[in-house]
Amino acid sequence: MKDTTPPPAIITLDDVHKYYGDYHALRGISAEIRQGEFFSLLGPSGCGKTTLLRAIAGFEDISSGHIQLNGRNMEGVPPNKRPTNMVFQSYAIFPHLSVAQNVAFGLRRTSMSGDEKKRAVAEALEMVGLKDYGRRAAHALSGGQRQRVALARALILKPKVLLLDEPLSALDKKMREQMQVELIKLQREVGITFILVTHDQEEALVMSDRIAVMFEGEIAQLDDPELLYRRPNSRRVAEFIGMMNFLPADVISVSDGRAEVEVAGLGRAELDAAQCPGGAIVGAARIGLRPESLTILFEGQSPEGGRSAEGVVEEVVYYGDMTYYDVLIDGAPNKVSVSMRNMPGRRVLERGAPAHLAWDPRAMVLFS
Amino acid sequence: MGESHSGLRRALRSEAGKGLTIVSPPLVYSLLLLAAPLATIVLLSFWTQQFLTIDRTFTFANYEEALSDPLYRELMFRSLRISGMVTLVTVVTAFPIAYFISFRVAPNRKSLWLFLITIPFWTSYLIRVFLWRVILAYDGPVNGTLLGLGIIDEPLGFILYNANAVVVTLAHAFAPFAILPIFVSLERIDRSLLEAARDLGESHAMTFFRVTLPLAMPGVLAAALIVFIPTVGDYVTPRLVGGSGGTMIANMIYAQIFDLNNRPMGATLAVLAMGTVAVISIGLILLTRLWTGPKR
Repeated sequence: MKDTTPPPAIITLDDVHKYYGDYHALRGISAEIRQGEFFSLLGPSGCGKTTLLRAIAGFEDISSGHIQLNGRNMEGVPPNKRPTNMVFQSYAIFPHLSVAQNVAFGLRRTSMSGDEKKRAVAEALEMVGLKDYGRRAAHALSGGQRQRVALARALILKPKVLLLDEPLSALDKKMREQMQVELIKLQREVGITFILVTHDQEEALVMSDRIAVMFEGEIAQLDDPELLYRRPNSRRVAEFIGMMNFLPADVISVSDGRAEVEVAGLGRAELDAAQCPGGAIVGAARIGLRPESLTILFEGQSPEGGRSAEGVVEEVVYYGDMTYYDVLIDGAPNKVSVSMRNMPGRRVLERGAPAHLAWDPRAMVLFS
Repeated sequence: MGESHSGLRRALRSEAGKGLTIVSPPLVYSLLLLAAPLATIVLLSFWTQQFLTIDRTFTFANYEEALSDPLYRELMFRSLRISGMVTLVTVVTAFPIAYFISFRVAPNRKSLWLFLITIPFWTSYLIRVFLWRVILAYDGPVNGTLLGLGIIDEPLGFILYNANAVVVTLAHAFAPFAILPIFVSLERIDRSLLEAARDLGESHAMTFFRVTLPLAMPGVLAAALIVFIPTVGDYVTPRLVGGSGGTMIANMIYAQIFDLNNRPMGATLAVLAMGTVAVISIGLILLTRLWTGPKR
């Protein structure tokens, strides 16, 4: 059973603005980051996500607004006095120090004895899976190992918040996927709030408890991954996260937040308020449909609920486990993408083949 | 004939041949102008001067004399002391300048600043030394200013014609040679390392001592060697501003060869000076490698 009251906020951002000269990098960011959650700042490059992270760490002064960390206003507090630690994009491993010396770097100012420090370093290295690497020279490490050293070096100080600046972007795909899982496990283990900056929507969806999608210095949507994926509140968010088909639609009537729409090629559908995150106004609009919420019906199958449409397969992209079809639905102005799981005994359709499509109005989202 | 010609051409076109073609002009140059004179000097140091002729029997007599005579020893030690001082002063004053250019000057202005640093080189070394003689003179601007401000009652005599004057003049002359290698090593420091140190709880000052300085050490060492090696054998500055107290080993070598007509002795002192500098430099390099190398 999930506890319904969210844990208290560890970071409160209140109308945070940042200017670089004339350039308005952060435009009124307000959000609460909760204790112990895995929070992601997701957006294209230049959206301000790294600036926001660096402002939380104390490397950037903010032009106006407030950042509260663990109940304390962070104005004028330098990075070395903040209860945050950071894993840098380049990992920033000190090249003149050994692995153990890197990990122990921040312990100088603690009251630990030499033996306690040694033990803490050994524990931290074991936690990130680098048990016997302490004596190695830092420059002799691979990318994945550097990342682990950076993690150990930050976590050994038991920060309230761990900040991760695109930590996986320098790794190859396999290593990245492995580290994603390890990071999630690690975060659960230590219970520290993680804030991850990434431009990779898949990474954010996989790892986060909640995601703030940022565009041009503003948070466009802040939700958990599922809501973000199923109910994006704007076309921009919908396009940034996963793939989304758009079809022109006419809103015929609106009552109690429910909207009656006529979708080109598909026909009439009734959407509830949650499916209209931007609200609904009578007139021209667009509906969005994820590729997996459209289904091609093969012989003998019938659409559950009876909603179906006819079309022609225009393009076939085979991925092994999945096949993506571009289908032009009769009466629709543009193609839609349909993803189908490949199953034994089910053939892959060819270009030009007629397609019988089933669709579900519950999967639709209305955009103005 | 044609056969061997094409063979030669083929040899020249091979990788090794190409390399040889590229290095041969400087190789010939350095053989003729560096190795040959050096060999001559070494050879000469084992001969002896007999009034007007040179006795070409192999002997260590010059070395015995050079190592036992307290005058030569004193001059050698003084040269090392003065260049050591010059090195220290130059590196210590060059570091803040290099640091400023690397960390405080906007990236698009850095080359301008480096260019400005070379301005003193637009005038000849000799003129710069003479200028220092004017500046430090008994009735020069330094004494004049201090007198005018009432800080001193009579002109300071100890600022010219002694070892201090040599240190000041050489430190100024070699400043750019020290600034550049330190600047380069500072430029190569990944700035995120400094942020990481701050993030891990260190103040600006401790970040400097724990990260910036250790990582800049190769540049500091290079600067020290670049200043130390040529200043040990400097001849012009001690001659012009050194007085008797600032006379260095190179002045004695000059005196032996040109004034006392004892070229073998001059050669011996030159070889000894070179050997001393080589030993100290190698020692310094090894020491720094031990210190800044990757640690356990």
